[in-house]
Amino acid sequence: MEFLNYFDNVFTVYHIALLVGGTFAGIILGALPGLSPTMSVALLIPFTFHMKPESGLILLGAMYTATVAGGAISAILVNVPGAPANIATAMDGHKMAQSGKAKDALHYCFMSSFVGGIFGVLILIFFTPPLAALSLKFMSTELFWVAILGITIIATLDAKSVIKGLMSGLFGLMLATIGEHPTSAMERFVFTDHLEGGVHIVVGLIGLFAMPQVWNLLENFYGRKNEVFSATGDSTLMQSFRLVSGKIKALSIGSIIGSVIGIIPGAGGQIAGIVAYDQSKKVSSNRSNYGKGEPEAIIAAESANNSMVGPSLIPLLTLSIPGSPTAAVLLGGLLIHGIFPGHDIFTKNTEVVWTFIDSLIIAQILMLIIGLFLSRHSKWIMKVPDNYMAVGILLLAVFGTYSIQNDYSDVLIMFVLGTLMYFGSKAGFSPVPVVLGLILGTMTEEKFLLGNMIGNAKGSSFQHFTSGTINLILIVLCLASIAYGIYSSRKSK
Amino acid sequence: MASTRVENLNRIMNKPFKISTVLITLFSAFLVYASFILGNNEDYLFPRLISGTIAVLSLMLWFEKGEADKSTNFKDLMPGIAIATAFILSLKILGFYLASMIVFFSLVMYYSKPTEPKDFWRVILIKLGVTIVFSLTLYALFTLLLKVRTPEGLF
Repeated sequence: MEFLNYFDNVFTVYHIALLVGGTFAGIILGALPGLSPTMSVALLIPFTFHMKPESGLILLGAMYTATVAGGAISAILVNVPGAPANIATAMDGHKMAQSGKAKDALHYCFMSSFVGGIFGVLILIFFTPPLAALSLKFMSTELFWVAILGITIIATLDAKSVIKGLMSGLFGLMLATIGEHPTSAMERFVFTDHLEGGVHIVVGLIGLFAMPQVWNLLENFYGRKNEVFSATGDSTLMQSFRLVSGKIKALSIGSIIGSVIGIIPGAGGQIAGIVAYDQSKKVSSNRSNYGKGEPEAIIAAESANNSMVGPSLIPLLTLSIPGSPTAAVLLGGLLIHGIFPGHDIFTKNTEVVWTFIDSLIIAQILMLIIGLFLSRHSKWIMKVPDNYMAVGILLLAVFGTYSIQNDYSDVLIMFVLGTLMYFGSKAGFSPVPVVLGLILGTMTEEKFLLGNMIGNAKGSSFQHFTSGTINLILIVLCLASIAYGIYSSRKSK
Repeated sequence: MASTRVENLNRIMNKPFKISTVLITLFSAFLVYASFILGNNEDYLFPRLISGTIAVLSLMLWFEKGEADKSTNFKDLMPGIAIATAFILSLKILGFYLASMIVFFSLVMYYSKPTEPKDFWRVILIKLGVTIVFSLTLYALFTLLLKVRTPEGLF
């Protein structure tokens, strides 16, 4: 129950203000169609630079929690999920909006998100320390394979083509090799002065996630026509509360499935929401109403995608493998604040990590309160024009990038990288594996070099990397994730 | 004439799949060249491993029955890229805030839905007002309050 000791750190005026601000902004950004939670968190990271680590992480955590929940607003009112995690919500939520019950659907969303979110954070609290202790058994070769496993899982889950997904992850690793060599400090791939400092993680994050959104908003500016429904409905808050609290089966299915999927590296909220929707449909007595505006469907999907948030941080904090794309961005935030995931995270950074985890519980409560309040005004949030959003993101991206190191080269790298990613995404490449490769690149190379050195001293580097139980398990998991990716992409065709 | 050129560009660039595969293969070949030829010492061991794997995957891409590339609406996208590029390149001359105001107003003016002629000046004034308020908010919040530095120039 160590986590109870750090609530005092959360309950300061400054941290509560950060939580309220982060939640408020997160719900609005999550609600805006076209702005993903991943991009929102990526854009926010530079602004946490000047904060203490715990303050910066509190803000990022609040934003992460709120954007996932806020995505339900556009899913319901416009039938455009604010985030991939809200795809399942749109199926029945928008049907309710069409029948004049958007307000009721939004109540169900935020209430079930709250239940799922709290459940997920509790899983995070109780499962992270034992798993962190387990990671003590991981030496250089094991950590190398862990990084490769993280990239293969995200690459195969996030991309339609396994080959393109793997290539994306490897491009990310290559990006991380630009600049100084991690041990000899010799410069590599510095073809222009602008690349002397390499590609900073946050520069990559902003470029890869923010710039493609700008181009997407501008390219489709004249073609996008969304009908926005008003948040009307008959239910009072109390009636909605009674309905949600009576749907124990849907809440349990959503929360448990979301948590399990959250722990699986790379899976993310989209899968959590869809699997929970599907499973709750199978056991529901109202299954014939699924797809026509069934509250149970919304409750299962939303509790799942929010319960995923906490557990998605478990592999992140213990093994550096994010459980979702947004968690991958959060990993960048942790590293920038000098917090290195691993077995000693709870001994070296006890106060910061527990304060951060405790703040996630408060963020869930604030998400419920602010979400219910904002849902009444959500129609106006939806009306922010795409051209204003695009230029706003562009300016914040440039501003945030420059503020990291006060270096104009970073702005150029961010702009070029983001624009190339946009065209890459047209060809089926995803930014998530690239980002993970970039974030894990330096660590992966260091572990590879160390393992190689030890292996050479022992006589065979190859044998050193492929012997030992944990190494073999990790190699099998890498191959299994690739095989699963090939199987699922063939199945979807 | 200009629109025909844009349509031609659209047609060439949107020839799906093969163009992206060719470009990716060329890029992979460049990575291999940079890792194995330009980088001729032990410091390039890891990049060689990665670029070699990328090259193998890029060859596999030729045999993959993948989906066609998504088409790009260059006609609507290119002006935005051009304005944003001009903004990035002018940052060090004009300064962040002046360049921001110009790019903000230019983009929201270029990308705007048709309005009634009688509303023309009202719409321009609203856009100008939003531009000024947005820039002042950024200035007050980040430069005055958080003391974050921005690219310096005229303003």
